Amino acid sequence: MRRKSLLIIRSEFMRRVTSKTFIVTTLLGPVLFVGFIIAIGVISLTSIEDDLFEDQIHRIAIIDQTGVLSDLVLSHYIGAHSLIIEDHETALNEMFNGGLDAYILIPEEVLFGNGDPVLYSKEGNFYGIQLAMQSVIDKSLKDYLLSEENVPDHVRSILNRSVFLDLIQLGEDQQEPIYEGEDVEFGYVMFGVILGMMMYIGIMIYGTLILYGVIEERSTRVVEIIVSSVRPFDLLMGKVLGIGLVGFVQIATWMVMIIGGMVLTSLVMAGFIDPMMYGIEVANETQEILSSINMFLPNVTPWMILCFILFFIGGYLLYGALFAAVGSLVDSPQESQTLLIPVMMPLIVSVTFLSSILLNPNSHLAIGLSLFPLTSPAPMMVRLALGAVPTWQILLSLGLLVASIFGSIWVSARIYKATVLTYDNKVSLKTIFGYLRGV
Amino acid sequence: MNSLILKNVTKRFGDVVAVSDISFKARQGRILGLLGPNGAGKTTIIRIVTSILNQDSGDVRLHGRSVGLWSQEQIGYLPEERGLYKKLKVNDQLQYFAELKGVHRKESKDLIKYWLDRLGLGEWGERKAQDLSKGMQQKIQFIATILSDPRVIILDEPFSGLDPVNAELLSDIIAHFKQEGRIILFASHRMEQVEKVCDDICLIAKGQLILSGDLIEVKRLFPRNKLALEYAGNLPFLDSMEKRGEIQILERYEGGCLLGINQPCKPKELLNQLLKLEDFDLYRFDLLQPSLNEIFIRMVGENI
Repeated sequence: MRRKSLLIIRSEFMRRVTSKTFIVTTLLGPVLFVGFIIAIGVISLTSIEDDLFEDQIHRIAIIDQTGVLSDLVLSHYIGAHSLIIEDHETALNEMFNGGLDAYILIPEEVLFGNGDPVLYSKEGNFYGIQLAMQSVIDKSLKDYLLSEENVPDHVRSILNRSVFLDLIQLGEDQQEPIYEGEDVEFGYVMFGVILGMMMYIGIMIYGTLILYGVIEERSTRVVEIIVSSVRPFDLLMGKVLGIGLVGFVQIATWMVMIIGGMVLTSLVMAGFIDPMMYGIEVANETQEILSSINMFLPNVTPWMILCFILFFIGGYLLYGALFAAVGSLVDSPQESQTLLIPVMMPLIVSVTFLSSILLNPNSHLAIGLSLFPLTSPAPMMVRLALGAVPTWQILLSLGLLVASIFGSIWVSARIYKATVLTYDNKVSLKTIFGYLRGV
Repeated sequence: MNSLILKNVTKRFGDVVAVSDISFKARQGRILGLLGPNGAGKTTIIRIVTSILNQDSGDVRLHGRSVGLWSQEQIGYLPEERGLYKKLKVNDQLQYFAELKGVHRKESKDLIKYWLDRLGLGEWGERKAQDLSKGMQQKIQFIATILSDPRVIILDEPFSGLDPVNAELLSDIIAHFKQEGRIILFASHRMEQVEKVCDDICLIAKGQLILSGDLIEVKRLFPRNKLALEYAGNLPFLDSMEKRGEIQILERYEGGCLLGINQPCKPKELLNQLLKLEDFDLYRFDLLQPSLNEIFIRMVGENI
């Protein structure tokens, strides 16, 4: 590599990693990330349970027209809301006088398999209560009907039994399981989503840094001084690689912090768990102890880390060069928004389909998206995390990605060279093809 | 050999001819003024010389060799529209620019300190560019141009935004570089500055070379058509001469006047007439050379 390209890489890298913003975001990133996930969990739990705050405890009346279910309903209910038995007319009056928040009418026909109970409310946003009460009434009704038929206890336990489908993923030798456990599939899905989103967010964040870097050099006119010392191509590549290095350092730090944090937390928690309580042997590995209490420790293989690094670098270079070209076509970040939409569209499409890839990682859609270079990084990471990708597909995807990087850099270098010193560019397909032809 | 030569240089952007068949020579130890109205092609010429752009035809030679990546380290360029990284410390950006021009890191530190001190900015090296006044930033940009000790210095409007004291300071440094035998290109609209600083000029309009050569020689090509008079007594025949179209009274003040001389009027005859006047003392009879500004307006006005 040319000496001047290295100088630009160093300058771009040092300028950013020594800034306070970089240090703060690098150190606080994982904290904010974990905090965000915890906050979402807490908020969604409280919205369903509604039992954290006093003012969210509702008074709900049960109007039991069957005459036999109300006691069972009260005994099965374990939530924090206040349930009372009322007749229909009183409940209706009470609700409009403010004495009740809602009432549930259980019609007599439910005993004969007709009709359903109805929840009446004034406000209408009782989705959490609706779900909870539905299962309580369902259970109460079944209990009553089974008692009426004198069903013995062992038959009841058969009816109550549930089956979970466990997952065991076998290694190459077809014998040793790579991982097994009740909740392993959920863990893999989460891990896949985290990797896919990190890939997408990483490409977006560092691509945008390139875009802003190019715009800043143009708007401050520093660029003319620099291109009188180096070729525009060297400046473009120096910028893309320098900022890429910044991203690499930041993401690597985050990954070390997140994985380190998870391992540390797991070890601490494992220390507090008595294996005997869960019916497993004391000599079990930490991971097995943790899986017994549904805690998941991601099974990160070196191959997966290598793939993540390669796809991240590939996706970043592919999009980074295109972002630089967009930056050289506009005079301000505001102007870049319109041009960024077509450039980012494939990336957005790839993230939009992540949920369907999670459900079926070997579908034609999933394979197509993880092979097509403009969309491949995020979907491929999700599929890799789910452990469902043949090696030839990974290699083909990487090959296509590398070929596209050369194409993207060629296109960007042409546009960049033609426009980096011109302002108020009129952007159209015709002018862009003109730049590509070197006109 | 120690010169910068442009020979029949042409550059097109699509259908637009930005520079057409331009040839000139900038010699060492002399300052060449590159003059022309907006859009004349000055910046394009400078970008070709600095190898930012490639010419479509013609040749640009520095010290006998075609310019290219090799010559970029030999040329210090201060663009007209210039800037600095706002959030970067002055020392860091100067070091970056110097290293891009091939100066070693260690060496650049001493040079930066020397030039910051010389331009009165010794205390500002560790401050960010955004903390500096516009004039200070101008001086930092000038330092960035000369830090690599270039053999060729290209200055596009170097004095714009500078107060007279700092303009004088820069002017002295430029004069010093000239004495050291560097090749200096000076692009400007400010005619009085060009007249004061330059030895040679090159006038460009619509991408074409209108006039070039030694400033004194160029001026000689244009007739001395203004006359400054200072005297005591009455001048009875000026108004009648103006009526006949021989002169124009451009300015009249106590004890003197400035006259424009038209074709039929012969200055020698006028001098004889004045000397023969009684009760009239002539203190000054100065046939003035046309200013560069007048030459510029006359030439470009004719060609636009």
